[in-house]
Amino acid sequence: MNRPMFNTRAALTPSLIVIVGFLTVCPVIMLVFGSFSEGLGAFGSFTLDKYIIAYTNPDFADIIVNTVIFTIGSAFVATVLALFLAYLNTRTNIPLKFLFRIISIIPMMIPHILFSVSWVLLLNPSNGMLNLFLQEILSMEGSPFNIYTLQGMILVEGLLDMPIAYLIIAPAMAAFDVSLEESSKVCGASNLRTLIRVTLPVLRPAILSSVILVIVRSLASFAVPSVIGMPGRIYVLSTHIYQIVATGFTADYGMAAAVGMSVLIVSITLIYIYRYLTSESEKYVTISSRGYKPTLIDLKNAKYPLFGIVGILSFVLIVLPVLVLFYTSLVPYSMVPSTKAFSMMSWNNWVEVLSDPISLLSLKNSVFLGIVGATLGVILSVFVSYVIVKVRTRGAGFLESLSFLSFSFPGIVIGVGFMWFFVQTPLYATIWALLIGYIATYLPYGIRPLTSAFIQIHSHLEESSRVCGAGTLYTLRRIIIPLLIPGIVSGWILMATMFLRELTLSVVLSRPGTEVLAVQVLHFAEDGLWGKVSALGIIMICISTTLVVIAYLIGAKLTRMENVNQ
Amino acid sequence: MEICIKNLSRYYFSGGKTIKALANVDLIIPANQIFTLLGPSGCGKTTLLRCIVGLETPDSGEIRIGEKIVWSKEKNIFMPPEKRELSMVFQTYAIWPHMNVFDNIAYPLQIRKESRKDIARKVKKTLQLVQLDGFENRPATKLSGGQQQRVALARALVAEPKVILFDEPLSNLDAKLREETRKELRSFLIKLKITAIYVTHDQIEALSLSDTIAVMKDGRIIEIGAPKKIYFGSDHRFVADFIGRANLIDGKVKAVEDSYTIVDSGIGTIACLKNPDALPANAVTICIRPEFIKVIKRDTRDGRNIFRGRAESMVFVGEAYEAEISIADTRLITRIEPTISIKEGDEIALSFDPDHCFVLSK
Repeated sequence: MNRPMFNTRAALTPSLIVIVGFLTVCPVIMLVFGSFSEGLGAFGSFTLDKYIIAYTNPDFADIIVNTVIFTIGSAFVATVLALFLAYLNTRTNIPLKFLFRIISIIPMMIPHILFSVSWVLLLNPSNGMLNLFLQEILSMEGSPFNIYTLQGMILVEGLLDMPIAYLIIAPAMAAFDVSLEESSKVCGASNLRTLIRVTLPVLRPAILSSVILVIVRSLASFAVPSVIGMPGRIYVLSTHIYQIVATGFTADYGMAAAVGMSVLIVSITLIYIYRYLTSESEKYVTISSRGYKPTLIDLKNAKYPLFGIVGILSFVLIVLPVLVLFYTSLVPYSMVPSTKAFSMMSWNNWVEVLSDPISLLSLKNSVFLGIVGATLGVILSVFVSYVIVKVRTRGAGFLESLSFLSFSFPGIVIGVGFMWFFVQTPLYATIWALLIGYIATYLPYGIRPLTSAFIQIHSHLEESSRVCGAGTLYTLRRIIIPLLIPGIVSGWILMATMFLRELTLSVVLSRPGTEVLAVQVLHFAEDGLWGKVSALGIIMICISTTLVVIAYLIGAKLTRMENVNQ
Repeated sequence: MEICIKNLSRYYFSGGKTIKALANVDLIIPANQIFTLLGPSGCGKTTLLRCIVGLETPDSGEIRIGEKIVWSKEKNIFMPPEKRELSMVFQTYAIWPHMNVFDNIAYPLQIRKESRKDIARKVKKTLQLVQLDGFENRPATKLSGGQQQRVALARALVAEPKVILFDEPLSNLDAKLREETRKELRSFLIKLKITAIYVTHDQIEALSLSDTIAVMKDGRIIEIGAPKKIYFGSDHRFVADFIGRANLIDGKVKAVEDSYTIVDSGIGTIACLKNPDALPANAVTICIRPEFIKVIKRDTRDGRNIFRGRAESMVFVGEAYEAEISIADTRLITRIEPTISIKEGDEIALSFDPDHCFVLSK
């Protein structure tokens, strides 16, 4: 639909392309330059040394093997779990279906580093609570479980990424044309045979996209590899880069960039495959998704055992981590819950954390980044989504691709890229460096809910207001913004919670004075101060929840005001 | 209010080609009439409507509404849609989902800053008019399609505009509701003395609703006239074919009599209503509607406009048979009374009413 073009509108697309282009392309370019430079101080003096050293490192082959096993293993665990849950939820008569919604959303609110920490507290070989408990009741010698292994990493990462896989697979499963299955049954196939021969093959695009997305996520993952992998001396690419820049005598950002290049290239390639697959599967799904209700399969005797599994999963995903953290924050050292443990409980860890100046500073910084960062990020997302959905010129398509680019950014790699950039500017080691990095990396999470909000605003709604005599501003105030509020609120919540718990980008960009919560938790964890980790972690979860509730209430109030007042 | 359009053009650029959505349209829409723009999709009718209301900017020409010039390329005038004091009913209804029925309808009055009391009174009156009294506090999204359509109409009427524009407002309703709403709409518009510009691709809607119809094709207005003139006396092959079902027969003018034009065609000599533009030896097309072809069974008379043919197919459609008759190599469609006993394959005779055979000159 063409419409009168005003100058402000015409200028919007190029200026957004400049802003978003700076945010997404700049770190990539700096990463490329950095990888060919001799060092942070000697930017621009060209050398191939970094690549040669990085890729001839004798440990590098092991790191690659570990990374491949870790990412593919996590993708497998997450996707199988998600398929299982999505199938039960959309296609069977399993009870208490609201649990599935909770399982798919809540784990996103628990910071990954805390989830990893809680599993370390349960299953570490020296004093993991579950290990100690099993040793006691079975009077065993060694520990039955060791979390510090590749299997341990895969299990935890798989659980963490399951919600993402679920959010891709469940809608595809719900929009599935049930007559395909019915015709299979009419041909005489059993439920199981139908599932294997018809349902899963038809869902292949969704399953593939889920696998690809989880691989990208686990490739970028830093929480699990650092908290679980590093103590067991199992390195993957993200922890390898961390080792190059953050441990040892001299940080080598050139070599980090050289290693990061291959991570980034793999990641971008996978994301474009993912994008292709989802656009294909969306086309396919919308055809048959109109007002139909699938017949539910009666699980009969399997109903309650299966429900038991779901119950255990939700306990493990949501209740257990918080419980373990809270318990650990109250006891002086790791011990199995007992009368002795309860008698030794105190608020000591909390008091220590809240009187620790660096923890307090990190708290302040993270809250600032969460609130200010999410607000700025959402404002940018509103304009970008507007152009993507409503302007739809060739420039708008370019902007969409640009803004989608950062979806594939592995935080730690892009952190190295930004490092190369910020060192050249006065922003280095300020909180603004983190803010810019956060917005650049998480922009797609703000854009997605807003583009769907804009799509719902049919151009006729806007035009109708203008024909009624309303000017552009009045239309914006009475029609566009009220309809956008749900999208703005969910975009803000997503960004704020992600910024509040941001770890991967921050481990590179955070400097003395700009500590943030997750990095502080990581430092405590590296020193084995589990009580402090837990106390700070619980504070983190509380702040995150408070922000979500406040944003939700403001959104609800604004929507109601529009309905009552006018 | 009269609307006057002069030499209006609108181009689109797509794939390196220029598409003329409107090509030098000249049009005068008389005041207090229901004026319909009719044409197949892509003919430019919606573009013309959107240019009048101001949602699209033409590339050249002038639009005058009443005394005001709202768009002129030469005089460099562009009045934005909110200043044009028009109302419009959209194809999608454009009901704002975050407002209730009252707020949706009150919106144009709220913009004019009328008092709360006046707004409440006018909204109530309008709701009564569209038979939605008591629906004020319903959320707009909880209404049925027909009710949403009435809300959209109420919103267009509440500000008492002089001109309302309709962009295929009935196309999303089911057939029965569409018919009822069409009748109601006509009675509202006549009662309220409003100039209405109505866009549709449905010829029955156009014929039953309008005072005047303008038929459009490829960005041009081909013919303007009252519904009966368009249906019975069109000059254009395209219009005759687009409106209703028509048998089109090619021929050559043989002679011109006092009240008839005589045309030689593939099925014989046909006497048609006189068309002064058709001169002897001109190549012409004859249009005859199925309902004016009469079947005369077992008639042996040879007279004017009587032809012999064969019933090729008969389809029973309820009130009649729709029959396909072949005369020589020409196939004609006609309607046959359901009580007449004719079978497929029967030889029959047909008679054309010469007063309803038209010579199309263009």
